[in-house]
Amino acid sequence: MFIIEIENLSHRFEDGTLGLDRISLQIQEGAFVVIAGPNGSGKTTLIRHLNGLLLPTVGSVKLAGVPVRNDLLRARCLVGMMFQDADSQIVGETVYEDVAFGPENLRLDRNRIGQRVTQAIDAVGLTDLTDQSPHLLSGGEKRRLAIAGILAMEPRVIAFDEPFASLDYPGVKQVLKQILALHQSGHTILVITHDLEKVLAHADRLIIMQRGKIVKDGVPAEIVSAVEAYGVRTPCASLLGMEVQSWLN
Amino acid sequence: MAELTPFGFRPGKSLPHRLDVRFKLFFLILISLISLSGDFLRLGIFTCLLTALVIHSGLPLRSGLKGLRVFLLLLLLVLMARIMTTPGDTLFEIKSYAVTRQGILSGILICWRLTLIVLLGLVFVFTTRSLEIKAAVEWVLKPLSFIPGKRIATMLSLTTRFVPVILNQANETAEAQRARCVENRKNPVYRLIRLGIPLIRRTFERADKLAVAMEARCYNEKRTDPELSATRTDWITLGVMILICSLAIGIPRYAYN
Repeated sequence: MFIIEIENLSHRFEDGTLGLDRISLQIQEGAFVVIAGPNGSGKTTLIRHLNGLLLPTVGSVKLAGVPVRNDLLRARCLVGMMFQDADSQIVGETVYEDVAFGPENLRLDRNRIGQRVTQAIDAVGLTDLTDQSPHLLSGGEKRRLAIAGILAMEPRVIAFDEPFASLDYPGVKQVLKQILALHQSGHTILVITHDLEKVLAHADRLIIMQRGKIVKDGVPAEIVSAVEAYGVRTPCASLLGMEVQSWLN
Repeated sequence: MAELTPFGFRPGKSLPHRLDVRFKLFFLILISLISLSGDFLRLGIFTCLLTALVIHSGLPLRSGLKGLRVFLLLLLLVLMARIMTTPGDTLFEIKSYAVTRQGILSGILICWRLTLIVLLGLVFVFTTRSLEIKAAVEWVLKPLSFIPGKRIATMLSLTTRFVPVILNQANETAEAQRARCVENRKNPVYRLIRLGIPLIRRTFERADKLAVAMEARCYNEKRTDPELSATRTDWITLGVMILICSLAIGIPRYAYN
């Protein structure tokens, strides 16, 4: 079953720049997709269409068969989004409050909010920091808090926009572990990155974008050697003719 | 990791942390109003109370005062203006300005009042979640149907939430500029512009990102309301506060002039 169906999607910004140019894409439920491309290639613009933060100028985006435009609330519950700057998406004074923000927006009762928040915080391993100020967390912990905030909305698809940006090695491993756990629990995962090295070993599909278009789409092992031509660095192992290894090994 | 600042909520288990926000807001307004017209004795009583609150709540007073440098400068200006302009018994003269006993006492009194109110506000912000402040503002504005209470409350709580973030941002920008020898430029206006413009730009950018992130998490004004519930502790504290305030109002005034 396709959880995401994008058909002939184009997006033009108010200043006239073409952000996306006739993109068609279908993604299976439970897939692990990496979307790569140089800065300005349209990766973030593309995923912002999945939960209606941006609406198509031309074309359509469907989530589980329903156009995003028809029901924005459904789309935002179905697709959780982790932004590049985790600091800017934290609104709560404490870890608990921040995770509760989404369920409160859904007008759930206090008991259900409590259950969802506790489950989400447990899932990302921040239970000991429930009353901590998010402002004082490390980079990796902030990313995990952002993930907990998304999990509390119980989405089926989670899109990560540059989840490893400015993280140290332990931070990258923490976040990567979290992403893999989410994938194993049945979530569809989309990871936007221009650094394939950290995540490609776990992906079952690689999409390369350039100037608002999809220029390569396929199984990572088959197309990874061609990515350099599109402004994406080939992982070191591929350059040496080896298989890309997981950062968790 | 960010630095601790006293201008935001810090979790704790002290009495001010546990009190219902509506009671805290009432105490804040009550003490501020009495302090505004209070003399040395009344201010002394409230200062003792405030000192106990600061110690009990764990407010880092030293870094708080460091963060209030601009306010302290303002206090100094107020004190100077009072000393120089209040008529009375002349103690000595600086150029053509007479420094009077009444001027010194009046200046100290005003500065003391302002400091007390600001520190009370600091304790309030330090011990109250922005969500609770939001809930209290909504509760207060509920009877006034023509005022968009929920929107005002959200704006207030986000402002409280982001004050420490903006202060950290200002520190970072200032440090980056010091690293490029901005201190060699003696013109304070130039330095203020160089600090202010990037800070304002980054604050707006952050606000934009925050708005998008809130939208992605289904933000709307019809949300689950925070629970406000008064406990026995709140009512006992209310009784004690009314007693202290009644005493403070009832004590005969000390005439210093």
